[in-house]
Amino acid sequence: MLVPGKIQHIICTGNLCIKEVQDYLKTLCPDLHITRGEYDEETRYPETKTLTIGQFKLGLCHGHQVIPWGDLDSLAMLQRQLDVDILVTGHTHQFTAYKHEGGVVINPGSATGAYSSITYDVNPSFVLMDIDGLRVVVYVYELIDGEVKVDKIDFKKTTTATHSAH
Amino acid sequence: MSREIVKEEAPPFSCVVSAENRGLASLRSVRWRLNLGILPPSPSVDDLRRVTADSRRRYAGLRRQLLVDPHVAKHGGSNSPDLVMDNPLSQNPDSTWGRFFRNAELEKMVSQDLSRLYPELGSYFQAPGCQGMLRRILLLWCLKHPESGYRQGMHELLAPLLYILHVDVERLSEVRKIHEDHFIDKFDGLSFEENDVTYSFDFKKVLDSMEDEVGSQGNSKKVRSLDELDPEIQTIILLTDAYGAEGELGIVLSEKFMEHDAYCMFEALMSGAGGSVAMADFFSPIPAAESQSGLPPVIEASVALYHLLSIVDSSLHSHLVELGVEPQYFALRWLRVLFGREFSLHDLLVVWDEILTADNSPLHKDSGNEESSCFNLLNSHRGALIAAMAVSMILYVRSSLFATENATTCLRRLLNFPENINLKKLVAKAKSLQILALNSKLSSSSFTFDVAYNRSKSAVSGHNPSPGPVSPTTPLSLVPDSYWEEKWRVLHKAEELRQDSLDKQAPSGKRRWSDKVKLVLSRTESDPSPARAEKYKKGHRSSVRRSLLEDLSRHLGWKEDTETGDCFDTSNLEDRQSIEVQVEGQNETSIDSICTAEERCDSGSGTSVSEENSSVFSDPASSGSSTTNDHENDTEKSSVASNLSSDEIDDRHLNNPEDSPLPVSSPPEDVLLNYPHENESSGKMVSALKQKRHLSGRFQWLLKLGRNNVSQEASDKGVITESAKSANRDSKSNTADSSTAGSPSNSSPTIQRDVVDQNVMGTLKNLGQSMLEHIQVLESVFQQDRVQVGSLDNSAKNNLVGKGQVTAMTALKELRKISNLLLEM
Repeated sequence: MLVPGKIQHIICTGNLCIKEVQDYLKTLCPDLHITRGEYDEETRYPETKTLTIGQFKLGLCHGHQVIPWGDLDSLAMLQRQLDVDILVTGHTHQFTAYKHEGGVVINPGSATGAYSSITYDVNPSFVLMDIDGLRVVVYVYELIDGEVKVDKIDFKKTTTATHSAH
Repeated sequence: MSREIVKEEAPPFSCVVSAENRGLASLRSVRWRLNLGILPPSPSVDDLRRVTADSRRRYAGLRRQLLVDPHVAKHGGSNSPDLVMDNPLSQNPDSTWGRFFRNAELEKMVSQDLSRLYPELGSYFQAPGCQGMLRRILLLWCLKHPESGYRQGMHELLAPLLYILHVDVERLSEVRKIHEDHFIDKFDGLSFEENDVTYSFDFKKVLDSMEDEVGSQGNSKKVRSLDELDPEIQTIILLTDAYGAEGELGIVLSEKFMEHDAYCMFEALMSGAGGSVAMADFFSPIPAAESQSGLPPVIEASVALYHLLSIVDSSLHSHLVELGVEPQYFALRWLRVLFGREFSLHDLLVVWDEILTADNSPLHKDSGNEESSCFNLLNSHRGALIAAMAVSMILYVRSSLFATENATTCLRRLLNFPENINLKKLVAKAKSLQILALNSKLSSSSFTFDVAYNRSKSAVSGHNPSPGPVSPTTPLSLVPDSYWEEKWRVLHKAEELRQDSLDKQAPSGKRRWSDKVKLVLSRTESDPSPARAEKYKKGHRSSVRRSLLEDLSRHLGWKEDTETGDCFDTSNLEDRQSIEVQVEGQNETSIDSICTAEERCDSGSGTSVSEENSSVFSDPASSGSSTTNDHENDTEKSSVASNLSSDEIDDRHLNNPEDSPLPVSSPPEDVLLNYPHENESSGKMVSALKQKRHLSGRFQWLLKLGRNNVSQEASDKGVITESAKSANRDSKSNTADSSTAGSPSNSSPTIQRDVVDQNVMGTLKNLGQSMLEHIQVLESVFQQDRVQVGSLDNSAKNNLVGKGQVTAMTALKELRKISNLLLEM
């Protein structure tokens, strides 16, 4: 499913741990953004990152810095701090997606289903964002019981960004 | 328009108008839609509107179906689309995303081409709206026809179609502005009655009252005024009336539906609309199902093109084949885009007018008839016209094609078609060739060069006389055909004059003959001295390249020399001098041009010259001749018409190879064939001068006649030069003929020598006999010409047009007379 050429950017929250994984991700897409997780051997990744794709501002952070881990309000604080429309964090190894205060907070979960100290049941998952103008469609791919399940969420950005449009 | 429909009295809004009166001539888009078969050939406007509406509906449906935007949520369809299948990363080929990505790739290819479309008309074609329309149309067509996909060039076919729609819509808006009344329903101008209630408002009354006023738009008034208008405006209004059949969708000239209409036209063009010529075939690499040759259609069509060219102008054809210029190198682009890249847009519209008017229905042949065309292209009027158009374009640049021995240069010329062209001539020629193409296909059975091909040639040559004046000679040559006829007449007059003068000067003529014979004999007796050899060489080379002026100067120089000798009558001298003076006067100015032309001819004619030289050496007498004589005669005539000299130079040129031909048969003729073409391009003067050198004076005028005719037909040259050569040989004795002021310097020393009289008579008789023999040979060759194939000289002769043959035959007759005269002596 993950074939090169279809994806234009990869946003990775971190904890790739070794360089080989980074190389693999690079084969899928040359534009790779990574923030540093607590187990990353590569020390030169930043803690947080912001980038603009289309009309959206995206923020990236591993999430272990935000305490309590996975708490929406705290993450919202980070979102406001970074001033982004979409905040992508990880660390919890669980997929969540919130629409909050005119922005979206996405946790794509663990792509490999790696062990997590906070949950028992970790399903490998990742998120595909289709950014089209002022609209983003979020496709969630999860591997549940050996099958790939797909879900999608629509999000429209409003200029005022005071409330979610959907 | 070819349809004839009687104009009837018009009931309101469904006028039946005659095709001609319809004034559709100016509405290209409607006309082309009729030609392409999209609109039915029906007289009723309503029918047109209905068909238009249907085709537009089809397109809109197609658009909705195929242009997939997965972003757009499918309402009404499946409420919860199967996301496992339908997600962007899905590998499933059926997924909408998959289709979306495939479309995106196609679109990328199309956009690449579109961005380079008609940059010179960028204000229209590069506008985003126009580009969007073009892109969508191409995408949809390619999606509808996945077997052909998108190929570069399809956008060039589509662009003019959209353009004419745009032009017509603009015309419509002009008409609208002028005749606003008929398009708009104006109610607000009406005055209301007292109760001011719309329901009870009596429209009729108001309208009636308005009729009295000027410029009312009541319904009844509308009809009346419609009839008053130009039929063209009438048509436009009826076609675009919003209340007509099918309402707005039926408005035949509509800006809103330009995309739909363009798509319909494009599809009809590509698919051929059930006809024979389908443009889509030209893009396909697979041989067509019923193709006999097993080649891809465009290659087959290119071959058909060359086949037609070989029938029309086989010397050019063989020239191109020799150089290795395969037809598909240039024909691929020409055919695929229907000459879109060769002409400017407006010229192209004219060309397409012609092509589309031609009927596209396949011409059925009896299944029992073996001789059906193996070329699919020639299987219909439209296809034949396309082929004829291409051949006419090749013929247009034939002089530049002949001028080069390099295939790349040829291709460059063909691929960069000249800008300023006489389009009418080109199209007229194409039309004449179309008839030829259609006839030839009936007789061309097989594709290979075998007897069948010869048969076809002979059959075609039978057709030649009819389109004679138009084909094989390029009608687009620098000199109109009438020019040559004039020359012929002039020469005839000169011939008569000469005959008279000969009769008068019979005794002196004899003496002249004796002088010339002396000259000849002196040449034959003694080995050509080195000086003379040089002179000969020079003469021949100059015969190939020397200018009139040089001849003249030599004449004069020689004349001065001969004053000491007693070879010439003073009368002769005087004649010559007078002639020379005339000639000089006329030719002085042209020396330079001639010289340069000579040089050019020199470069081109190296081999032929050497051959001629060798042959000349073997036939010194023939060489000695009358190029000067001819020169004089020619110059005389040039006094009549200054152009004559160039004409004669051509003739000379033609005659030059005469010297070489008989001993050296085919190669010189090939070169000969090249000569006329070269001459056309690079100064006929030079070539004619070359010939002059070799001709005997006695037969000067005859040769000139022959040459004039020959210069028109390449093949004739070969024949006539042979005859002239034989004439030359025979007339060695006659070279002493008074007509020429003096042969080139070659002859001058010889003339000065004494000749033995006894030998003169014997020589004369021998000459007469050999002349007759040569004439017989020539005549037999003429007969053979029609049947023979194969050798280049023959194939070149096959270019003979009836005219050329006729002229050649007359020339031969003249030669016969002369030979008889000789024998009598």
